[in-house]
Amino acid sequence: MIPPSIRVLFLLFFLPFCTFAQDASTLVAKLSAKMNQVKDYSVQVRIQSQIPLINIFPVNGTVYYKQVDKFRIIAKGIAILPKQGFTDLAQLLSKKERYSAISTKTEQVNDVPLQVVNLLPTDETGDLILVKLWIDSTKDLIIKSQTTTRSSGTITANYQYGKQQAIGLPDILVYTLDVKKFKIPKGLATDINRTNIPTKAQPKTGKITLTFTNYQINKGIDDKIFKN
Amino acid sequence: MEDKIIQVKHLAKKFGTFDAVKDVSFTVYKGDVFGFLGPNGAGKSTTIRCMLSLIKPDAGHIQLFGKTLDTHRSQILARTGCIIEKPDFYKYLSAFTNLSLSSRISGGSTSRKEIMEILDFVGLAGREKHLVGGFSHGMKQRLGIAQALLHNPDLIVLDEPTTGLDPQGIIEIRNLILRLRDQQQKTILLSSHLLSEIEIIANRMVIINKGESVVEGEVSTLLNSEEMVVSIEVDKPLEAQILISTHFSHVLPSVKIAQDTLTMNIKKAEIASLNQLLTSQGISVFAIQSKRKLEDYFINMINEHALS
Amino acid sequence: MLLASTYNEFIKITAKPRSYLGLGAITILVGVILFALKVDGLSMISFVTTSFEQTLTFQGNLLNGNLVAFIILQMLIIHIPLLVALVTGDLVSGEAASGAIRILLTKPISRTQVLLSKFIAGGVYTLCMIIWLGLMSVLIGRVLFGQGDLMVLNSDGLVILKENDISWRYLGGFAVAYLALLTVSTLSICLSCFTENSIGPIVTTMAIIILFTIIGTLDVRFFDQIRPYLFTTHMAAWRSYFEVPLPTAQITKSIFILLGHQVVLISIAIIKFNTKDITS
Repeated sequence: MIPPSIRVLFLLFFLPFCTFAQDASTLVAKLSAKMNQVKDYSVQVRIQSQIPLINIFPVNGTVYYKQVDKFRIIAKGIAILPKQGFTDLAQLLSKKERYSAISTKTEQVNDVPLQVVNLLPTDETGDLILVKLWIDSTKDLIIKSQTTTRSSGTITANYQYGKQQAIGLPDILVYTLDVKKFKIPKGLATDINRTNIPTKAQPKTGKITLTFTNYQINKGIDDKIFKN
Repeated sequence: MEDKIIQVKHLAKKFGTFDAVKDVSFTVYKGDVFGFLGPNGAGKSTTIRCMLSLIKPDAGHIQLFGKTLDTHRSQILARTGCIIEKPDFYKYLSAFTNLSLSSRISGGSTSRKEIMEILDFVGLAGREKHLVGGFSHGMKQRLGIAQALLHNPDLIVLDEPTTGLDPQGIIEIRNLILRLRDQQQKTILLSSHLLSEIEIIANRMVIINKGESVVEGEVSTLLNSEEMVVSIEVDKPLEAQILISTHFSHVLPSVKIAQDTLTMNIKKAEIASLNQLLTSQGISVFAIQSKRKLEDYFINMINEHALS
Repeated sequence: MLLASTYNEFIKITAKPRSYLGLGAITILVGVILFALKVDGLSMISFVTTSFEQTLTFQGNLLNGNLVAFIILQMLIIHIPLLVALVTGDLVSGEAASGAIRILLTKPISRTQVLLSKFIAGGVYTLCMIIWLGLMSVLIGRVLFGQGDLMVLNSDGLVILKENDISWRYLGGFAVAYLALLTVSTLSICLSCFTENSIGPIVTTMAIIILFTIIGTLDVRFFDQIRPYLFTTHMAAWRSYFEVPLPTAQITKSIFILLGHQVVLISIAIIKFNTKDITS
């Protein structure tokens, strides 16, 4: 027979997790439901990259999205985007069975209490290992996300919202990337006459800022746009 | 005053330790066909190149048309046409184009008509479009003469102009030179190994040897002041020799007998006397010939210079 | 008379079969590179982006005409000097070898004018080469691969230039590349004044370029003093036009050094040519 004190302790220990688990799933479900209101959208995007060893001017383009996982950026010129953390979150959230959500803690960010939820992909063989979301539960908005993949490491994204807050579409997305492994390959395109290059201390992270304007939501998008 | 077209005084040029020219002096007057003679390696080519500013002399003085090359090079060369040794052209260009290139920087005409006329003049009519790379040596020689004449120069320097030409060509060049002198009052400096040609067409000449002037003057004067080489064919050569020894003893040392022919060095004025002597003593004279005067004169002068 | 002589030099250059070797070689080389890039260009450029592609993805037309032209220029810049020297190295020595110089220098034109006309003609020939290279690489590259932003890998990283910001850079780059090749042309003509065979100046020019290039790449302190003044160090100055920000001071310095080389080489050539005895 388990003593009552131990039962109370057991409940006290597991109850928050049960409660949190329920909250995490509900929270994420609410997010999904919000995001699922958007069948398709197109939006003008301005991509600004501040990445060590890469010098690139801001690029303008258009983002096209259509449920469930059709996504394309058409930019005039060359654009640099994070390999992960952009479309894979939306794809993960589009089907409940793709993940299991676990609430971990609450964090204060800019005086706003945010629920930190871990999403564990059910597909253990996939590239995605973990997605961490900082959610404003009062508004059902993702404020920050951290995506960890086998191939790309960890990418953090910060969300800022404007007019499309109600349907969870951000105005600004700021990605922070780990750039420790970046290096310049010698060979084809290097300047062989340059020697004694002063080695500057290279920052360990880089940033890509996407600024979205002029959302066109649920106006219908032809599937042809998503073909290369 | 342009009576003296070329004046070369004490010209000297050394290549390393080798004295190509030590002391060459001569003068060419207006209207001369001037023979420039010397054995191989005498310094003729070096002297001509110095005159035409291809080589800078170490010492001496050169004036053409009364002007020095240092200060009036372009003016002098504008009035001078030349062939130096074998004329070399651009093999990948046609005869016409080669001439037009030459004429363009000589201040001459590049009109098609004039170039065609000069090609016709040197016997290359119909070859104007042919690449020079396919020309024979004689054709190149003719083309060389054409480029020398194209801008109507007052002085023409010809270094071995008949090299590679057939006998007909040699005669044509000879006549051309005479025409240039007589009809166009050109002054011509002619360097040639064909001494017979020099003897026929040159009125003045200089002989150089081992970089030094040996003798200069009128051809006729130089050759007449010297003994002639004469061959006499007789029926009794030994008796003829005895007669020569008694009456023309100064000639005896040079007498050579080959079968019925006696060859000797004798003054022109004495030939008639000798003939009379032989015939009066019963010796039949079948032929009297003077042989290659200039050639022998030339060899004599060179040998004397070498001994001195 | 300088103009007349220069016109003559143009006629001679255009009539020589060897003059078309260089243009033909450029056509074939560029054609081969264009073909290779068309077949497998993306894997070539992925070599550049590999270390970044763990975390980033590059969107857009990376392999466009502008990049193709850059790659061609980068690959051929070491070979074009040989094609230039092949013609310009022969301008004086070739005529000395053939004997045609005898007739040329007995004409009423100063030796300085004769030589300057050769420099001018050599310069124009070099200009034709670089224009042809530009047409083949930039124009045909753009026709085959389209236009787009230019991704350039410099020693301090990747630079991505906007499409509308490229044409003037190419003009400037080609202008400086021309200046570099003009220095090669000037060097070969200068060397041509010292010899009477055609091959010597050509081989010597290439040997000097190779030697100076090696000195330029050896990271040895001893050579640090002279490296900035070697003309080969500045032969790649055209690349500076594809940096952000544009290193104007560096480009100006390169231009002055290349021009300085040309002034010195032309002066040496004039002195030699004027004092040379023509014995051939």
